Amino acid sequence: MVENRPILNILTHAVLILGVLFLCFPVWMALVASTHGAEALSRAPIPLWFGGQGWDNYTQLLSAGLPAAGGVPIGMMMMNSLIMALVITFGKIAISIISAYAIVYFRFPFRMGFFWMIFLTLMLPVEVRILPTFDVVTRLGMLNTYAGLTIPLIASATATFLFRQFFLTIPDELVEAARIDRAGPVRFFIDILLPMSRTNIAALFIILFIYGWNQYLWPLLVTTEEGLYTVVMGIQRMVNSGEALPVWHFVMGTAILGMIPPVVVVVAMQKLFVKGLVESEK
Amino acid sequence: MQKRVIFRSRSLPYLLVLPQIAVTLVFFFWPSYQALESSFFIEDAFGFSREWVGLRNYRDLFADPGYLRSFRTTLVFGLSVTALALGTSLGLAVAANRVLRAAQSYRTLLIWPYAVAPALAGVIWYFLMNPSMGIVAYWLKGLGVEWNHYVNGNQALILVVVAAAWKQISYNFLFFLAGLQSIPKSLIEAAAIDRAGPIRRFWTITMPLLSPTTFFLLVVNLVYAFFDTFALIHATTNGGPADATSVLVFRVYNTGFIGQDYGSSAAQSVVLMALVIGMTFIQFRYVERKVTY
Amino acid sequence: MATLHLNALGKTYPGGVTAASEVSVEISDGEFVVLVGPSGCGKSTILRMIAGLETITEGELSIDGARVNDREPGERDIAMVFQNYALYPHMSVRKNMEYGLKNEGLPKAQIAARIAEAARTLRLEEYLDRKPRQLSGGQRQRVAMGRAIVRQPKVFLFDEPLSNLDAKLRTQLRAELKALHRRLGATFVYVTHDQVEAMSLADRIVIMNAGRVEQIGTPMDLYLRPASRFVAEFIGSPSMNMLEGRIGADRASVTFGQASALSLGFDLPGPAGHPIALGVRPEHLHLAPGGAGGIDLAVQFIEQLGADTVVHGAVPGAAGPLAVRLAGVQRYEAGAVLSLACSAENLHLFDAETGVRLAADAV
Repeated sequence: MVENRPILNILTHAVLILGVLFLCFPVWMALVASTHGAEALSRAPIPLWFGGQGWDNYTQLLSAGLPAAGGVPIGMMMMNSLIMALVITFGKIAISIISAYAIVYFRFPFRMGFFWMIFLTLMLPVEVRILPTFDVVTRLGMLNTYAGLTIPLIASATATFLFRQFFLTIPDELVEAARIDRAGPVRFFIDILLPMSRTNIAALFIILFIYGWNQYLWPLLVTTEEGLYTVVMGIQRMVNSGEALPVWHFVMGTAILGMIPPVVVVVAMQKLFVKGLVESEK
Repeated sequence: MQKRVIFRSRSLPYLLVLPQIAVTLVFFFWPSYQALESSFFIEDAFGFSREWVGLRNYRDLFADPGYLRSFRTTLVFGLSVTALALGTSLGLAVAANRVLRAAQSYRTLLIWPYAVAPALAGVIWYFLMNPSMGIVAYWLKGLGVEWNHYVNGNQALILVVVAAAWKQISYNFLFFLAGLQSIPKSLIEAAAIDRAGPIRRFWTITMPLLSPTTFFLLVVNLVYAFFDTFALIHATTNGGPADATSVLVFRVYNTGFIGQDYGSSAAQSVVLMALVIGMTFIQFRYVERKVTY
Repeated sequence: MATLHLNALGKTYPGGVTAASEVSVEISDGEFVVLVGPSGCGKSTILRMIAGLETITEGELSIDGARVNDREPGERDIAMVFQNYALYPHMSVRKNMEYGLKNEGLPKAQIAARIAEAARTLRLEEYLDRKPRQLSGGQRQRVAMGRAIVRQPKVFLFDEPLSNLDAKLRTQLRAELKALHRRLGATFVYVTHDQVEAMSLADRIVIMNAGRVEQIGTPMDLYLRPASRFVAEFIGSPSMNMLEGRIGADRASVTFGQASALSLGFDLPGPAGHPIALGVRPEHLHLAPGGAGGIDLAVQFIEQLGADTVVHGAVPGAAGPLAVRLAGVQRYEAGAVLSLACSAENLHLFDAETGVRLAADAV
């Protein structure tokens, strides 16, 4: 910065530390709570430091789940979440990159029509067309299937635009050189375009993985069989499990387990994540 | 807008767009059309018959005080989340932009909540503010605030606002920081030579140059608060108490799935679609230069 | 090795814009032909039509006597070097050169042999496993040439290959290119906007303007006998002086404005009073011995280039500036008047309205 004033510097760090505390504190409390038993959490004030039941709590959650909430092991829910997130992520990337390729590198009737159709999906989030979409999935017999859980979510205007934007920055001469080198459209895509898109694919992967993992409403609608529950959606059954009071140490343990994969992805691939986020949204 | 060099093929481009277009048609356009269509019908509870009623569903909707209240709730919720999330993250981004060396570590510590699912963020805050043993409720009691979101509608709304904003701060922070870092340092230095102090510089140089980012985030945050927070509310307050946190998206779901009133739910869907379309247009008018067709 | 036959080639875009028309050139085997002209003159369009990257809308293109209008670029047996190199950024130098050969289905051993040879020719051996971004501009351009060489094409096409390089490197690569052409003995078609590049490289130059061919000839043809005012002014640096005037009453002199006239000593074609442009290159003017010359020049400023001096000034009575290139170091103050002379064979006369060269035989 331009000038160095000690008071401003202290204030700056104070603001940042407060911010970090505000963001970290809730998760800290969730982590602490997940290592205690039911009694420790039954009345205020609850402990601020770890208890001794962490291992027992997590092993029970992962292998057996919660009897009051159907007894679905969280491990299984996490596996479902992982399958859903990965299918959605790869599905979105795959169909977006090929449609962006078609729209940028070919000229054909209805090209712009298709482009606008993809664009319009931005305006139709699942939250606003819940019932009829559910209806369509029911009619297609896709309830309680992995296909029903994932396929309706794999159209992606954002990913298509990102790839389109990227393709437009690739110099025309590269295609020309490839054509002189006897590469047809398929070979050009596989040999040149796909390898050049690696960074973009990786950045999108992070954003879309988080999107897929964190889906809530859709799994809630499409799955009634407990074997297909995902962790983010399943937690709701523990909080609102009938008359019984929520078993908070298990609920918090589930919350921690449910956030670990996406948080790890973001922190581990921070640079790519920031690039992907800023570029796909702007 | 397009390449000078193109490949020639009759069928290949159609094959390439087919998957995306198929998904779009079956799961986006068909349902949307159905929502539009059934918003003009009333269906009996068993789905045996339906009757064309024209705009009656819409008239009923806007005559329903519950729905109008839901509109108000959504607005209050959306504006509060946006104000809280934008204000906090701007402060943090300005601070992070000042500390050059430590900025990277602070960024790591500040961005991870982006990855936390709204439902999980809601449940954790629900736990922290639990009236009988939540730590935050306990502290509030120490300050003389009697906290019980199970009965107090305003407190329930505050709870979901805080949880929703908490999750969104990371996102805004990243964009504000990127915006701040793209302001040329020489401009700030020129202002300093012109005898503008740090606070004056912030309001006369930084904020105006940051306004595109701010506007973009404003729209994104409103969209987030209006549509992406269904999970947060459903997993915690479930719209209650007494509909105090029943925002529009939650109401669509409730009317359709719990109340089984398809006509009304469809009409609500159409209203929401109009809302999204409006907001998307505003957003794209602004990013026009980025997205030129 | 191939001959190239451009027969009334033309390109009209769907919007109705014509980029080139009626371009006919015969290029013989092993010839180095340079297409030159200002930007937008259609030279790149012609090259891209030869490459097959642009569809031919009028005329016919044959390579070795076979019509290739409708062949894909990969099937024309050509290779092209681009201005921005167009190297595949994710492939190593070796992979870049291999790519076309692999697509052609050549045996591995043959590919390796060709790459080794090209790498030796272009001194790229130690860079074969690097990525393009790790190379300098000059090295990248050599890789691009290597990619062309290994294909052993009938025709090499170059689209302003040296434009992105700095002046010194450009001169160096120009020499390498010339040497490469001599060694390969292949047919080269080369596009540039730089007349110096054209003059120094070409066996023959095709000079283009506004989509049409202005003149085809050897560099010296173009320099000594420009067919039009456009060619005269495009070739040579500093550019040819043009004095606009009219044919005098005696039809053996040029009049400028009211007062001054320049006697030429030979008859001019065309009626008295016809507007013409009289061209003379700065290097063809010299100081008239004893101060009795044909043209008086009022000095405005001078450029000292070391080996020679360019004097800029105005001819009293005649419109427009005039430059003279004098050998060695010369010093003149602004306002000094020089008497200049020029031998008749170095005068060029153009019709002021059509720009066509007048009476080439008379001069």
